[in-house]
Amino acid sequence: MSEKGEVDLTGAKQNTGVWLVKVPKYLSQQWAKAQGRGEVGKLRISKNQGKAEVSFTLNEELTVIDSVGDKGSQVHVPREHPFTMQMVGGQTLAVFTETSSGKAWGDKIALEGVVVQRAECRPAVSDSYMRLKRLQIEESSKPMRLSQQLDKAVTTNYKPVANHAYNVEYERRKKEEGKRARGDKQQVLDMLFSAFEKHQYYNIKDLVDITKQPVTFLKEILRDIGIYNIKGTHKNTWELRPEYRHYQGEAEKSD
Amino acid sequence: MCVSQGSSSSSATEYIVRVPKNTSKRYSIMAFNAGDKVNCSTWTQARMERDMSNKRMYSEEETVESGAGSEFGKKQREEARRKKFGIVTREFRAEDQPWILKVNGKAGRRFKGQKKGGVTENASYYIFTQCPDGAFEAFPVHGWYNFTPQAKHRTLTAEEAEEEWGRRNKVVNHFSIMLQRRLREQERGEDEEEDGEKAGKKKKKKKGDKGSDLRIHDLDDDLEISSDDSDSSLAEDGESKPKVKKENDKKGKGKKKKRKKGSDSEALEDSDDGDFEGLEVDYMSDESSSCVMCSGIDEASESEEESEEERPNEEEGKEEAEEEGKKTPVQQEKKKRRGSVLRALQSAPGKKRTPPKRAGGRGSGGSSRTGSRPGTPSMDSASTSNTLRAAASKLEQGKRQTPGASSSDTPAAKRLKMEPSPQSPSGKATPQPTSGKSTPSSSDVQLTEDAVRRYLIRKPMTTKDLLKKFQTKRTGLSSEQTVNVLAQILKRLNPERKNINDKMHFYLTE
Repeated sequence: MSEKGEVDLTGAKQNTGVWLVKVPKYLSQQWAKAQGRGEVGKLRISKNQGKAEVSFTLNEELTVIDSVGDKGSQVHVPREHPFTMQMVGGQTLAVFTETSSGKAWGDKIALEGVVVQRAECRPAVSDSYMRLKRLQIEESSKPMRLSQQLDKAVTTNYKPVANHAYNVEYERRKKEEGKRARGDKQQVLDMLFSAFEKHQYYNIKDLVDITKQPVTFLKEILRDIGIYNIKGTHKNTWELRPEYRHYQGEAEKSD
Repeated sequence: MCVSQGSSSSSATEYIVRVPKNTSKRYSIMAFNAGDKVNCSTWTQARMERDMSNKRMYSEEETVESGAGSEFGKKQREEARRKKFGIVTREFRAEDQPWILKVNGKAGRRFKGQKKGGVTENASYYIFTQCPDGAFEAFPVHGWYNFTPQAKHRTLTAEEAEEEWGRRNKVVNHFSIMLQRRLREQERGEDEEEDGEKAGKKKKKKKGDKGSDLRIHDLDDDLEISSDDSDSSLAEDGESKPKVKKENDKKGKGKKKKRKKGSDSEALEDSDDGDFEGLEVDYMSDESSSCVMCSGIDEASESEEESEEERPNEEEGKEEAEEEGKKTPVQQEKKKRRGSVLRALQSAPGKKRTPPKRAGGRGSGGSSRTGSRPGTPSMDSASTSNTLRAAASKLEQGKRQTPGASSSDTPAAKRLKMEPSPQSPSGKATPQPTSGKSTPSSSDVQLTEDAVRRYLIRKPMTTKDLLKKFQTKRTGLSSEQTVNVLAQILKRLNPERKNINDKMHFYLTE
């Protein structure tokens, strides 16, 4: 069992050689449609007068593209793809794999092998390929955003209203609450202390909101029990005086 | 699974290509630079993890959420603020983070693998591996990571690198750069304060050494240092290599050596500063009265000279004060000694200080002063002075130049003279005073013993007054010579001393 982070080096030790092949996008899309065991085609390697020739032939059933959109006729992907072999010179390329454990990738990392040959998969040029390319270009040249002219003006958004619903609601709420009345000082103190248990710094507006007291009254109380700091980090906020606060562990009120 | 087709000049084999559907394994490329000479088959053990060091940058977990230190509605406010300014923070994606690969454990190599962007945008890469059944399997490459080896050796920080860049034309020995940095770090580990200063000083020293900046030095310490290895390296062109090599050898003394190196060149350059003026012997040690007189004379040789002397004293005092904080205990001791010396000197004359310094005058005054300075203040200096003598003599040999230059020898010379002063005031050091003394133009009518005697019988005089009587223009002697000769005369006369108005007066009774 390998622990997390430990790299399985069997591939490296065996010096497994692999090929790195660059494949065109459309081909990889076709390959994704493969059925069954995943057979996609055949690779022919021939030695022609000393030079190795590699070519890939796509399976018949995968040549059909379900083209999206307007055209009725289907475009075919070319079948023959000769490989262009390249050197691995300037870099040492190794292949490693991450195994997923359902949630996260990268639980098991294994070194699969070293790249010994690089290749590019090129399509053999044919008419069908040209058509395919043309389609692709057309699609990619479409702008992402489209300006469209409308026949009728949009009238559903804003209608003139005597008084907006939100506004009405607001006024009603205000009237109902009425002016803030000074409550019992002890009650207010309790409210303040419990508020300061949750957070250390409060804006005066927030405190007014919490306690529902008029500002002047609240300020008086605060002047007793708290300090107003023009702190560097926090803008002008109120906090409890040191003797009143116990911030480590349980918050106790001292009076 | 493979079909062979023979033909005349070519043979072909066909393989089936499969693209497996199972997605449990994700393939990625690990790219190393060919120059790093990485051979995966030599790896015995490897560990690889994501480098999560950038996580905190994105998570913004610095603010306290609740309880102490938190603010009501902080989060909402911050978010509103961000939206207002249009700050968009990119989310932290673990998948895009670099890999840290450690090969062969602690002693092995470390690599950092950064994801290369744009690999899967226009084309897909597939890994073709051959299966046991002869078919090829193609796996898509998920990501490409470029792995670069990470340096395990010490590197310079950005500031240090900038420093060194500025000195690149002057630095010859590059090995010392990291060495001194390591020394600095060592000291920092030992004692914070002291070492901080020392390091600072070392740095300064080092800079000065290489860059030949002018620095205030205690020639004392410099000479002592040089005395330590007087054989090895009083290379006067201040070549860094041998000096630095020595520094490399004796790390403990590294500081000293460095200082010495710089100081050698600087001592020579600073000869005009006259900070050696103050390097006088302790006034109050028991020396012969003649020497005291001589010292009195020297101090009072000319009004300017005297003030100059006091000025260097002052400077020296200042220097000492400055450097006190920086020097090692040993050096501090010596400084204190010198400090006591200086204070003694300062108390003795008690004249006003005048700003202008005259190198020439001071030089001569200094040298002559050294000539007549009485003995050593303490035993330590005595012991060092022996080696100092050697050092100083070497210095001299290199520096047979102007009187100004020779005055740089005078500090050494002074120390030397401390010992044998009663007998041979000139000691071995400066050629000038020696010559001056060896050929006292006492043949001249003006400055004779009789003349001095006459004056002293008539009324008590300070050395300064005496010197005024024998002005250089009239006697034809140089001021240096005058002082020397007068000193000799006074020694011979051995007048009595009296303190009038805080000034030492000489007088004779018939």
